[in-house]
Amino acid sequence: MANMLPACVIDVGTGYTKLGFASNKEPQCIIPSAIAIRETAKVGDQTTRRLGKGIDDLDFFIGDEAFDSVGYSVKYPVRHGLVEDWDLMERFLEQCIFKYLRAEPEDHYFLLTEPPLNTPENREYTAEIMFESFNVPGLYIAVQAVLALAASWKSRTLEERTLTGIVVDSGDGVTHVIPVAEGYVIGSCIKHIPIAGRNITYFIQSLLREREVGIPPEQSLETAKAVKERLCYICPDIAKEFAKYDSDPTKWIKKFDGVNSVTKNPFSIDVGYERFLGPEIFFHPEFSNPDFTTPISEIVDTVIQNCPIDVRRPLYNNIVLSGGSTMFRDFSRRLQRDIKKVVDARLKYSETLSGGHITPKPIDVQVVSHHMQRYAVWFGGSMLASTPEFYSGCHTKQAYEEYGPGICRHNPVFGTMN
Amino acid sequence: MILLEINNQIVEDTLTVKFKNALAGHKLEVTDVRIADFDGALFHISSPKNDKSKIIISICLKFYKDLQQHGSDQLLKDIYGSFITDTEDGYSVSLQVDLEKIPKNWEELVKKIGLLKRNCFAAVFNKYFDFQERGEEGHQRAVINYRNDETMYVEAKSDRVTVVFSTIFKEEDDIIIGKVFMQEFKEGRRASQTAPQVLFTHKDPPLELLNTNARIGDNIGYITFILFPRHTNRVARDNTINLIHTFRNYLHYHIKCSKVYIHSRMRAKTSEFLKVLNRARPESKNTEKKTITGRTFIRRE
Repeated sequence: MANMLPACVIDVGTGYTKLGFASNKEPQCIIPSAIAIRETAKVGDQTTRRLGKGIDDLDFFIGDEAFDSVGYSVKYPVRHGLVEDWDLMERFLEQCIFKYLRAEPEDHYFLLTEPPLNTPENREYTAEIMFESFNVPGLYIAVQAVLALAASWKSRTLEERTLTGIVVDSGDGVTHVIPVAEGYVIGSCIKHIPIAGRNITYFIQSLLREREVGIPPEQSLETAKAVKERLCYICPDIAKEFAKYDSDPTKWIKKFDGVNSVTKNPFSIDVGYERFLGPEIFFHPEFSNPDFTTPISEIVDTVIQNCPIDVRRPLYNNIVLSGGSTMFRDFSRRLQRDIKKVVDARLKYSETLSGGHITPKPIDVQVVSHHMQRYAVWFGGSMLASTPEFYSGCHTKQAYEEYGPGICRHNPVFGTMN
Repeated sequence: MILLEINNQIVEDTLTVKFKNALAGHKLEVTDVRIADFDGALFHISSPKNDKSKIIISICLKFYKDLQQHGSDQLLKDIYGSFITDTEDGYSVSLQVDLEKIPKNWEELVKKIGLLKRNCFAAVFNKYFDFQERGEEGHQRAVINYRNDETMYVEAKSDRVTVVFSTIFKEEDDIIIGKVFMQEFKEGRRASQTAPQVLFTHKDPPLELLNTNARIGDNIGYITFILFPRHTNRVARDNTINLIHTFRNYLHYHIKCSKVYIHSRMRAKTSEFLKVLNRARPESKNTEKKTITGRTFIRRE
């Protein structure tokens, strides 16, 4: 490669944007995907109103600074993973590149991510912004789910590295179950679960509110969040877990110490059943959400059952976790066990249906958990962008000028690029 | 954001996390982070030979040899002192920090390391500013190839220091936007009396660089700054260096910002035109129109 500078990997999510340079293990910057702009009360179309005069277009903040700014209105250019406001997105990227990454975009290749079911038009818009405004030499738009699959390769042997698998991606807002077959997302089978990190936090908050009185009310959300991140885990069986806590409370009930942000007085609370009940709502959603009662294991199973029959076995074989809310201890084991239970029951049933004549081959269910889970998508991107084949798979500026933004509608699948 | 920041935020953040972890007594971990910066600079923050208790911060500048001729080594030694260590292979300067012996004022240290790239640049300017201060003339001009095909020249006269940047525009649109931007820059002097004089020439190098092998081409622009003693004196010097060494990136940043702005305008105009088009659509005749009470109007032809 002519340029020895690493490629830039930017993963713009609904909540947070992960920025960094390829070949690193963790993103260098994680900032909220928010932009604060000044808005005028003039009449007229929103886009025309925003234009402003002189250097007004440089008067904005992104990330954490956006929330600290006074007199600005905070906007989120990305909604549900899709870019909604391209004007703001362009300015957001402008500052991402020049302020946070400090990269001259003409020198670096870029890898951006997109959610599954992104429209080809959106890819074209992205290409226009990157090539026309920023003059990048090369651009690759990767599907987040595929990157999450690639990230799990780190923990596996060379032969086991496939791009077929189910990605269970759970962030703060929503959990997606996305089947991928040989690097292509099976869009019709994607399912969303309205249970994710934020719901767990709220649930823990409500449990703590009922019992603990020492928490300052304005800090109850962050306390719940800290409890979730530090002390929660997934248990194999709630009934047994309750019995365990009751028989030996000193061993299981933990203390959480905090400091009141106003009075600076320390406070201490006991954390008991919350430790396992919080994340349990993945498997028993009815605890927190009466409208939604299907456990995550069943959803994963239905998603696989909806997929074409020839990929179902490999999908069961490779269930990959990604996102911060899958970081609970033993999450993978519980998920694996529960799915296995459903699958085995189905096989048993088909055996009885056949009158005992046919014994189906058992299905191997495997849930993959690895160290890079929290920023799996970004890490997958960083890994991909540090390989030489990335540069051959990128759309180059020359190609863009020759054929137009249409070339970015399709991005070759990583791993089969050559 | 009008001016680019001179410190490297990512380097500072990475080190702050490391130092805080070490001070809090957490388990130390092996570090290995590569970070790029403007002008092709590359930082590498790592643990030497997997020794978790130490951190090496290396910077790679392709043109560091050019800077060395102007005493950058000495300047860095003055600033970083004992933190300077044997240079890592393939890099230009390395600093080493012991995580077991973090100085009390570590926040200051982090800031200082964040300015590593700026300090590498500073020596050249300092040297020529000194020449000017002492009124020495006839020193050879400094030539620094700070990027592939792009060069910076610094020259001192008794009454001024001239800094010339050559920069390449990769796209034709950039040349035009760059030209307009630089014209505004020249105009800007009226608003600020103390600003240095700026000249912009396109294609041909300025007269200062006559009879040198400065490149000539359609996509090349030359920017000349004439710094007077009021910019190069001891008080103003640091600020001058901060601003001038990022100038090339500043220019390109603003070219990109201008394009972003033009795009916004184009989008606004498009949506306006689309509205006009939608209004121009003929109304279909056979739709039934009702009043609020539910009575229908029948149009008499």
